[in-house]
Amino acid sequence: MSRARRQAWLIVVATFVAASAAAAHHSFTMFDQSKKVTLDGTVKEFLWTNPHVFIQLLVKNERGKEDEWSIEMTSPEHLARAGWRPGTLKPGEKVTIVIHPLHGNQKGGEYLSGIGPNGPLLGAPPPGPGR
Amino acid sequence: MKRGRPVLAAAILAALSTGCAGATGVSSSSSGLPDWSGEWQQVGATPNPDGGFDDSLSKVLKEMDWSPPMKPALRAKVDEIDAAERKEMEAVLHGANPGGAVVACTFGYPAIMLDSPLMFEVVTSPQETALIFSSREIRTVYTDGRQHPGKDDLWPTAWGDSIGHWEGQTLVIDTIAVTAPAGFGAHEGTPVLAFGGIEQSLLITFLSPQAHFIERLRMTDKNHLRDDMTVIDPVNFTKPWHLTRTYERVTTIHRMVYEDCEGSDRNPIVNGHFTLAPPPDEVTAPATR
Repeated sequence: MSRARRQAWLIVVATFVAASAAAAHHSFTMFDQSKKVTLDGTVKEFLWTNPHVFIQLLVKNERGKEDEWSIEMTSPEHLARAGWRPGTLKPGEKVTIVIHPLHGNQKGGEYLSGIGPNGPLLGAPPPGPGR
Repeated sequence: MKRGRPVLAAAILAALSTGCAGATGVSSSSSGLPDWSGEWQQVGATPNPDGGFDDSLSKVLKEMDWSPPMKPALRAKVDEIDAAERKEMEAVLHGANPGGAVVACTFGYPAIMLDSPLMFEVVTSPQETALIFSSREIRTVYTDGRQHPGKDDLWPTAWGDSIGHWEGQTLVIDTIAVTAPAGFGAHEGTPVLAFGGIEQSLLITFLSPQAHFIERLRMTDKNHLRDDMTVIDPVNFTKPWHLTRTYERVTTIHRMVYEDCEGSDRNPIVNGHFTLAPPPDEVTAPATR
């Protein structure tokens, strides 16, 4: 339900806005919504960037070599309200992440959930006002 | 003129700062105005860790009391658009097209108050109240007794022109001269949206440039603001439309985080479909401040 609501928001708003190649917010249909893939890997970078945040994850393939996966998340604003922070993930951390993969063979996907060294991935408790 | 701007800016900041102390909603200064400091979000637009949002359309509609009293001509137009939207959604979901791309972060009014995923701050002062949204959109509500600009000084914008006054702890806002944000199909009028999941009904209505808005914004408890809005649009509606929206205090972060729709783009359209580009060589600076 929640993801569908976001999809609807993006599509509906996009219908009213002139499309542009410089897509900032977009529908997530480039990801296969019918599939889920679980990745066990090592964080290469956590890119806390607008308009969307990315996890660059190194995952060993069947040949024993590392592939770099680009995992797309939502905006820093939304993630911050969901408890994430720029320092939630650090290079070198071992994580397990579930994604909707890209259509085709490209190494990428849409973030769904994740587990880090300390359990489900979320940021540190927020400091209160004035602290 | 240029020399006067810093002085004016300092005066505005000083005036706005009078309402910033405290975080409980009680009057915070000698002005006697309520303290609505902190971050707020629309009930039903709370991000999940996966980036989605809570709540169904039915809950949002119940919350908004969605019942626009549309005239027959508008009803027919909305039905036609609604059918086209459903067709578009189906096509996107089945990969027939990539779906739209949104460049602008502008939601405009009244959408920004009714169904947007943005958080915002409210800064009160005797002279004006500013509603500052994470899209960097700002609604300025003048409460110093001034009137709307005269006919020759008024032009429609995505946020309109707002004046207001305080009735106790309630801010009464009067807004006119609203038009759709750039690119939002302005020929139809200003869109007002309510939607849930794709599998659910999508609801739209449109407002004419003659629409007149009256809001009553107040704190119902220390963690909730409520906006009772009346839309008077003699062109499109048979009678005034009353809506309600409730905002809840954001508890997961205590400072503004801004959206930037023109940040690094890693989703270029190739052969008519969105793609995912490799990461940039350099890491962009963090978005929080």
